[in-house]
Amino acid sequence: MPVSRWSRSRSRIASVLSAVALLALSVGVAACGSSSNSSSTSSTPATTASTATSASSGPGVGKPAVTIGDKNFAEENILGQLYAQALQAKGFTVTLKENVGSSEIIYKALVSGQIDMYPEYTGTLLSAIAEQTKEPASAAAAYAQAKAFVQKHGFTLLNYTPFYDSDALATLPSYASAHHLVSIVDLKALGKSLTLGAPPEFATRFEGLLGLKQLYGVVPTFKPIAIELSYKALEGGQVGVQNVFSTDGQLLGGKFKVLADPKHVFGFQNVAPVVKQSVLAAEGPAFAATLNQVSALLTIKAIQQMNAAVSIDKQSASSVAHQFLVANGLG
Amino acid sequence: MRMLAAVGPVIPNYAAQSSSCEVDNRLFCWRWVQHNWGPVLWPALRQHILLALVAVAIGFVIAMALALAAHRYGALERPTTIVTTIMYTIPGIALFELLAAPVGLNVFSAEIALVSYTLLILFRNILAGLRSVPAEVLDAAEGTGMSRTQTLLRVELPLALPAIVAGLRIAVVTIIALATIVYIIYDRGLGVPIHTALGEGPFKTELIAAGGLAIALALLADGLLVLTQRMLTPWARARAG
Amino acid sequence: MHEFVQAFRFIARNGAVAGGPALPSLSHLALETLKVGAIGVTISVLIAVPLGVWLGHVHRGSFVAINLGNVGRALPSLAVLAIGDAFLGLGLTVVELALVILAVPPIVTNAYLGVDGVDPDLVDAAKGMGMGGWQILARVELPLAVPLVFAGIRTAAVFVISTTTIASLAGFSGSLGDVIANETSYHFSGVLGAAICVAALALAVEGGLTLLQRALTPRGLLLVGHEPVLGGAAADPITGND
Repeated sequence: MPVSRWSRSRSRIASVLSAVALLALSVGVAACGSSSNSSSTSSTPATTASTATSASSGPGVGKPAVTIGDKNFAEENILGQLYAQALQAKGFTVTLKENVGSSEIIYKALVSGQIDMYPEYTGTLLSAIAEQTKEPASAAAAYAQAKAFVQKHGFTLLNYTPFYDSDALATLPSYASAHHLVSIVDLKALGKSLTLGAPPEFATRFEGLLGLKQLYGVVPTFKPIAIELSYKALEGGQVGVQNVFSTDGQLLGGKFKVLADPKHVFGFQNVAPVVKQSVLAAEGPAFAATLNQVSALLTIKAIQQMNAAVSIDKQSASSVAHQFLVANGLG
Repeated sequence: MRMLAAVGPVIPNYAAQSSSCEVDNRLFCWRWVQHNWGPVLWPALRQHILLALVAVAIGFVIAMALALAAHRYGALERPTTIVTTIMYTIPGIALFELLAAPVGLNVFSAEIALVSYTLLILFRNILAGLRSVPAEVLDAAEGTGMSRTQTLLRVELPLALPAIVAGLRIAVVTIIALATIVYIIYDRGLGVPIHTALGEGPFKTELIAAGGLAIALALLADGLLVLTQRMLTPWARARAG
Repeated sequence: MHEFVQAFRFIARNGAVAGGPALPSLSHLALETLKVGAIGVTISVLIAVPLGVWLGHVHRGSFVAINLGNVGRALPSLAVLAIGDAFLGLGLTVVELALVILAVPPIVTNAYLGVDGVDPDLVDAAKGMGMGGWQILARVELPLAVPLVFAGIRTAAVFVISTTTIASLAGFSGSLGDVIANETSYHFSGVLGAAICVAALALAVEGGLTLLQRALTPRGLLLVGHEPVLGGAAADPITGND
């Protein structure tokens, strides 16, 4: 009879719906529960080897919670983990928001208060955020100008790292010896016979084709190559010279030769944490001191090794950072 | 251990921990998956499930309300279809960015977009299902003295169930696939490891693991819904046979 | 809303960014997206429509035809492109391959259901009038299947535009997605502008195909009310069974 079939299906519907609801609820609770635990250190992966929670003693205990952000590439992820974990080891309560976005976006997040601090490159701060067109003359000048800029907006820069991650031009040793290349100055002679590979934005930047022409008189044949294909393009002979970053892990081991940049067309790009001044005051002197201790350790070799571990060996940024901090007494 | 001159930092021997599988970017490094399941893959999978579940749940509630309203007041159908169609036709990558501008780079933009994609599918299917109830059956229900609400709950909705579940299947699978793009505005879901892997090589193992998980999740969800459909509507199969 | 103003200015400038002619213009990228998409849809239609129509005509392979649609829907574009990138690199061929893989299922499913679902009484009547198999297909089944076949093509077309744009996230260059993937150069206003263009492009393609469908729908169907309306993109037929 029709009616009884529907009432049977109604109770069946009820039982299935309640089962589904329970399942959904449990997944939701599990997801919310665990994500709020791991968000104390990172928004995506929970840390593997390091402590996921802050130390229970230290100058940071009792201080207000801090949110650190980082941009969406490996080196920034490493820096974010380094700073976050070092602070946590001193008892600070830190939330790390990874992969916030590019410079423009993460600076907006800082200004709007979503994050309290993030690691920035001095040159990028000047060109992309301060929109300054005049090139600074030295690393120290770049830092001073960047610091002056952010201080006008209620932020400040802590100490800058020994390493700089600026653009660079790399080539194969065989190509370099065949054309007698030691620095970018030597590229002028090659003219258009030189194929230069770089991401598309390189073509319109001063730290790119524009500056190369203006400062060095280098006018190569440009070939757009995505960043992740840089070293493949070099090895495969698709380009003679490739735009790379000075801290790439691939540059260890001498497989590639980086050309010197005596006129500093690629500017100065040391890293310094940008922090809200009010946060700095609230967290006490140990906060800045810890961050400065970490920054002081970051030489080019160190960051290259860490980049290699993450990009080539596919280790996680958090475990790489943890090992570094422990090895240097800050973990 | 590699050490610099005494004044430099101590650098751990990272190379000692790497294996040639990852360095050579071989097809699939099981060791990497084991190491990174906990920190990378499982959280991404969990976030992905949550994103999809919330979107389909909210979408279902809204679509049901809209469909019931359109079933009652036919004039509502056309405008609702037009609006939901426009939202559905706009490619996901565009809709995410369009929402991120006013709403921000957060879960709300992501969910609003995902919900929009479920609305057209579910609205059309629920409404069509309600409409597919034969007039004679409605007359019989009226004849036995049922009120409008009772007719709806005891007659129309159960008979519309096949269409509703069919719509849910399509919506769930579509949303799970679409959620892989969410990462461009909100750092969650299986798109995050896919994006990371693309920037590193691309790193085959992570691509296969994350991409494979997304596909498996969609097929599993589809399968579960097929079973649900069969359980709820045994008579539909009998009629078809 | 300030960003939307910036975005429209970006569109008005045809995507020019202060500093350089070296970046492709919006109109060029839009055209490229359409080109890549058109190739993908054409190849997919050539493969999928005959296949689906034939299966529907002989009323075979319903399990495959219908579940192909499900499996196709379950494939995330980004994952397919990423895997293609990992193994073959992301050139035009691989992107087109991915587009075909993603576009064929909905067309096959809808073509199958369109032809298979033609009222059997009509087919019998045609047989009674002496029509052979091919004639029945051409004069009865295909015209009646137009709405569903087109629903599949429209779904596929919008999906193809979406996937072509996503290909740029995976590293392909040659679509409006290039702007969305390159926020560093174009800034958020540019990304937003490109997103608006992608949306407009998809709506235009859907609208264009709707008009084409109307032109191709037999008069009889139009009279009976099978007028194509916007919404075909989700006109997956309601199957109470699988």
